[in-house]
Amino acid sequence: MAKQYEIPIGAQHISLLEPLHFKFTTENEKIVKTDANVYYVHRGIEQACCSKFKFRQVSFVVGRVCGLCSISHTTAYSQVAEKLVKIEVPKRAKYLRMLVIELDRIHSHLLCLSHVAENSGFEALFMKTMQYREFSMELLEAVCGNRIQYDFSIVGGVARDLKPQVAQSIIERLKKFVPQLDELMDIYKNNWTLSLKNKGAGAITKEDAMRLNVVGPFARAAGLAVDVRNETEDLLPWKEVGYEMITETSGDVYARNIVRLRELYVSIRIIENIINGLPETPLITETKAFPDGEATVRLEAPRGELFYYAKGNKTQVLERLKIKAPTFSNVAAMAEAFTGNEYGSVPAIIASYDPCLSCTAR
Amino acid sequence: MKKIETTLTSLKSDIAAFYKQELHHFMVMNAVEVADKIEVQWFFSDYAYLCETTCFFTLIDPAEKIPSIKDIVVSAWVAEAELVDLMNINIENTAKGFVLEPDFESGPLRKKK
Amino acid sequence: MKLASYRKKSPWILHYNAGGCNGCDIEILACLSPKYDIERFGMINTGNPKQSDILLVTGPVTKRNRERLVEIYAQMPEPKVVIACGACASTGGVFRGMYNCEGGIDQYIPVDVYVCGCGTRPEQIIDGVVQALAILETKTKELEESVRLKKEAVKEKQQLNRRNIADEIKPAFT
Repeated sequence: MAKQYEIPIGAQHISLLEPLHFKFTTENEKIVKTDANVYYVHRGIEQACCSKFKFRQVSFVVGRVCGLCSISHTTAYSQVAEKLVKIEVPKRAKYLRMLVIELDRIHSHLLCLSHVAENSGFEALFMKTMQYREFSMELLEAVCGNRIQYDFSIVGGVARDLKPQVAQSIIERLKKFVPQLDELMDIYKNNWTLSLKNKGAGAITKEDAMRLNVVGPFARAAGLAVDVRNETEDLLPWKEVGYEMITETSGDVYARNIVRLRELYVSIRIIENIINGLPETPLITETKAFPDGEATVRLEAPRGELFYYAKGNKTQVLERLKIKAPTFSNVAAMAEAFTGNEYGSVPAIIASYDPCLSCTAR
Repeated sequence: MKKIETTLTSLKSDIAAFYKQELHHFMVMNAVEVADKIEVQWFFSDYAYLCETTCFFTLIDPAEKIPSIKDIVVSAWVAEAELVDLMNINIENTAKGFVLEPDFESGPLRKKK
Repeated sequence: MKLASYRKKSPWILHYNAGGCNGCDIEILACLSPKYDIERFGMINTGNPKQSDILLVTGPVTKRNRERLVEIYAQMPEPKVVIACGACASTGGVFRGMYNCEGGIDQYIPVDVYVCGCGTRPEQIIDGVVQALAILETKTKELEESVRLKKEAVKEKQQLNRRNIADEIKPAFT
């Protein structure tokens, strides 16, 4: 047996956006064991949501769980609170929520792709992807009024309406974006330099993905067809706006890139369908009821399945709120998929997981 | 949401009989305080169209030791380690200190008496 | 040519997330991208505290992050400037009072520039960094002056100072 060395990465590292600590046990550069420490950013949001804030304010607090998928968090919380106060949301509000979730998915996936390119050592592709990503931030600002924290969904509906000029500009910008996306697809698929770092790295099989309960693009790249948009119909009507499942089979970094890129085409189609078929109804359902009973909600965030559990006790303050973020399900698989890889490809693999630790730790 | 009541002794056999890798995935463990007792919940969901969320729950005393489901559901160790710290309960083969610092008082989600 | 002029033209940035929501971090990443292009000020995002001049911190300090933050600050060479990016890094923001959080990074390390907003816009971050450059320049000057011993030594009663006996120290350059 070769001599074993322990190599740490994190909490502060150039390839990490957030504090995250992995301890690798390596044998001649090959990783044999990984320990993960992911709770650097535990803040205590669940406790504050059940003591400090009233249930209508909580939708703004849970947006601050994560800056990348804040609309998914606010929407999931709004839905669970609507189940507790027993109201039905108007159809226009549902469509607008889906619109912002899909725009958010575009910016989140492109950010992840650019990060993979940077960590694989392809700086020019990082710049190119970030340049193409900027249009989605501008559109989100036009729709919601802020670049990062949208605060778009509130309990009962949405906070802002979509203006016709903004809808027009979204369609125009998406038309410009499609050839750019084709170009990115070509580079990520066929570039030889990038394939050296990406093909075969961090691979996970379909059986492992099932055994470890993986969700999101991580699972879909391994061939496991898990997507909440494919499974629920009652809260947000995904199928009626043209959702389609995307899967790959090889399960490595390359497959994750391709899954993300192909999902962008689906997102573009969904956004176009939503804008063309936006129903004319009021934006919000008013109610004076207090939350009671318990309810659960599942929603597809950019990184996978988001799960909310809430329990009310007929007062303004919730009894319990539980947030299960996508990366939380993937932590176990993240630690296992490193095994057998070279230490040098670790940054690219970490970026391809697209970990969101502020979601996980809350 | 389908709720199934179980007990601490029959928990592992119940979950082993229910959980099929190809059909379900484990989501998260949760605990809620109900008066003096704690309601511990295990959430599963299936992959099928119009999915169903299944919740196993049991009422325990705070001092009781809960069996671990790590040998049935491999990835459950993350959820168990988190819940041990946040609710100050005992789960077998699970150490404290995954979420909170060692000098911190454990069980911040419990109500202050 | 002096080192100080290089430093002003090309300050290197170290970024640390002390427990925030990622919102400000992706805006810092957007600053590096072609639209905002922070590299026109000569700035490069570096991962090594020992090579960096400006520390960009986001997020309220969580309990597990505080030692890491102080350690990173201590490893940076003088002169150094700290920028608190975003509402939570400045005051704690929405997380103020949560059980695992402290209110703002200025409880642990001295902060020179506060950037407001939740999340901060890239323009605001660039503005904050440009202000930090001016502070970096004054700090550099102060540091060099103290090295040249231009300032008068501290005098206290009952204290026999070497400089009372020795000749008066002349400024190094006149």
